[in-house]
Amino acid sequence: MTDPARATASGGTALVVAGCVGLALACVLAFGGFDPQVLGPWFLVDATSRLFCVLINVIFLGVALHGWSRTSADPDRMLVPRRYVVLCIGLLVAANLSITSNHFIGSWVALECTTIFGAFLIVRADAPASTLAAWHYFLFSSIGLGLALLGFACIARGYASHGVGDLFITLAAAPNDAKTSVWFTLGIALTLLGYGAKLGLAPMYMWLPETYEEAPPPVTSLLATVQFNCALVGLLRVLQAFRPGHEQLVSTELVAMGIASVALASASLIATRTIRRLIAYASILHAGIIAVGLGVGAGAGYGVLLYAVSNAFIKAMLFLTAGKIEAQYHTRDTDQIRGVIKGLPYSGLFLMAGTFALLGFPPFGSFVGELLILSGLVRSGYLLVFATIGFLVTVTFVATGRTVFPMIWGEPVRPVDAYPQTFLSFLPKLMFLLALVVLGLHLPGPVDALFREVAVTLGDK
Amino acid sequence: MTSLLIGFLFVLLVPLFVATWRTSLLGLSLQGILLYAMAYRMEGASWSVGSALVLVDLLVLRGLVAPLLLYRVLEARRAPDRNDVLPPNLIAWAAAVGLVLLGFRLASVLLPVEGDAQMMLAAAGSAVLLGFLVLASQTGVFSQIVGVLRIENAIALFELSGGSHPGYLGVQLGQLAIFGTSIVLFAWFLANVDVGRPVAIESASEDLDD
Repeated sequence: MTDPARATASGGTALVVAGCVGLALACVLAFGGFDPQVLGPWFLVDATSRLFCVLINVIFLGVALHGWSRTSADPDRMLVPRRYVVLCIGLLVAANLSITSNHFIGSWVALECTTIFGAFLIVRADAPASTLAAWHYFLFSSIGLGLALLGFACIARGYASHGVGDLFITLAAAPNDAKTSVWFTLGIALTLLGYGAKLGLAPMYMWLPETYEEAPPPVTSLLATVQFNCALVGLLRVLQAFRPGHEQLVSTELVAMGIASVALASASLIATRTIRRLIAYASILHAGIIAVGLGVGAGAGYGVLLYAVSNAFIKAMLFLTAGKIEAQYHTRDTDQIRGVIKGLPYSGLFLMAGTFALLGFPPFGSFVGELLILSGLVRSGYLLVFATIGFLVTVTFVATGRTVFPMIWGEPVRPVDAYPQTFLSFLPKLMFLLALVVLGLHLPGPVDALFREVAVTLGDK
Repeated sequence: MTSLLIGFLFVLLVPLFVATWRTSLLGLSLQGILLYAMAYRMEGASWSVGSALVLVDLLVLRGLVAPLLLYRVLEARRAPDRNDVLPPNLIAWAAAVGLVLLGFRLASVLLPVEGDAQMMLAAAGSAVLLGFLVLASQTGVFSQIVGVLRIENAIALFELSGGSHPGYLGVQLGQLAIFGTSIVLFAWFLANVDVGRPVAIESASEDLDD
């Protein structure tokens, strides 16, 4: 018979090993002078896949290390069921395939796989609300990805009459008259709407706050970072393939969806009184700013990438921290959580740093990214959009600060169920924080070169 | 082909006005069967792995497995016979008819040449729009599943209307696997989601909470 404690420990270890293997492979792919031809025509190893593979594997390893350290510190409290381990590894494999696929539908299939693994991961046997959240997540994902598939079918139909037979990303360049056909326009619009739903952009964002609140915190971290970036890469692939020669393609749509998302998130942040829902609405706001940046196109590409990568680290750090705070205060209600910096000093520190990074303060990467996107808006003449975003970000700052700052520095109103923390348990969050500072102050040469290479494909000179 | 398309439109519309879940499932099943009949008529009797996958997708999964799985769940739950896929009022019904007309108008813009292809496109467009109408007007899990499956069937009809080759076998297999797994998940959620239960604000004691 299997010893449950041993099975638990091996589950946590398996996740860490999977994370290490994934990161090692991603680093070889990104910086090891890997020959992309080896993988054949079905895989695309370009700057985009290299950058985002490294990102999602770093975050997965961090989340896995976090779980493993908790298991080691307190095996009775923190179980890592085998089901969870298998699903997480499945999610990681599908996410990597989604990012490296050279076929639009192939990438779509892999993204659907991450959705299915994600739906199973959200469900918790002892929390009926999580089943409802998983249903809403799966429903909206099915609709969104269904629309994206319909979009690809429209694009394929538009291309078929021009001799482009299949939807390989590297072969997607078609005659210019094909790109102005009604099938092509309809296809791109549907794809944008579909991937927008996965990113949590308006109008199909409703699943996101509920899902991020009800899923176990490590799962929320994975959904908000790993899966979010897979969907983002899906959208980037469409823009990279079809924008050359049509720089204004879906610009207005992206900016409109972005502003609507930022406005909805800002309004919702004012009324939110649970911690993870608050971070979830901030995620919608971030997705909105990324969409606006992509809509601007030339000049904002580098900023969009810096912002997206920084936000992955912010969300991973904040959701893990929020999970710990919820577990130790035994509540999600922000009114009941006060003085975290005293009760849980490390968590308080990460909550504080994460909130400042979330709000776009220096010296974090999100500050530089947001600044570059906003300056791109001004340079491109989107002055009204710039003013609107500026106003809405100010509202967000006030709303978030009003809720989070008393949580950090307020007078405690209920006891904290604190238990000793090992260095390893906060090491992943510390690494995420360090990455954020590095992104904001000075990017190492090879990483900067990778960012610039991707930015060029988004229209940057 | 025209008779099959008229039949498809019929099974698309009738279940919206006959408010029982059995009619909805029968409608979905007939949609799958008619889709396969159309594919068979277009492709002929040629047998290959690709055509076998089309058979599994359209006839087996959409026509039989999905409706039967959902039927079993609803029978087990002893669901009341009545289930409104659309709100039972004139506005909703008028919207449904209006969306069908819009689907036809859209098809005539996208494909100006009259014929089977335009008719298929019109039916696909109407099916997508009606699927969204169902999703927009219902909060029940079963009705939402019906809405999504209607959209999935519409996408299949749209792909058929293009008459294009289904693509690489691996990609086709992947899509089939995704659709099959989605059906199983739909049935699981139908059996397990309890929308009436309030959502607690206190965190549940959970092993993976932090």
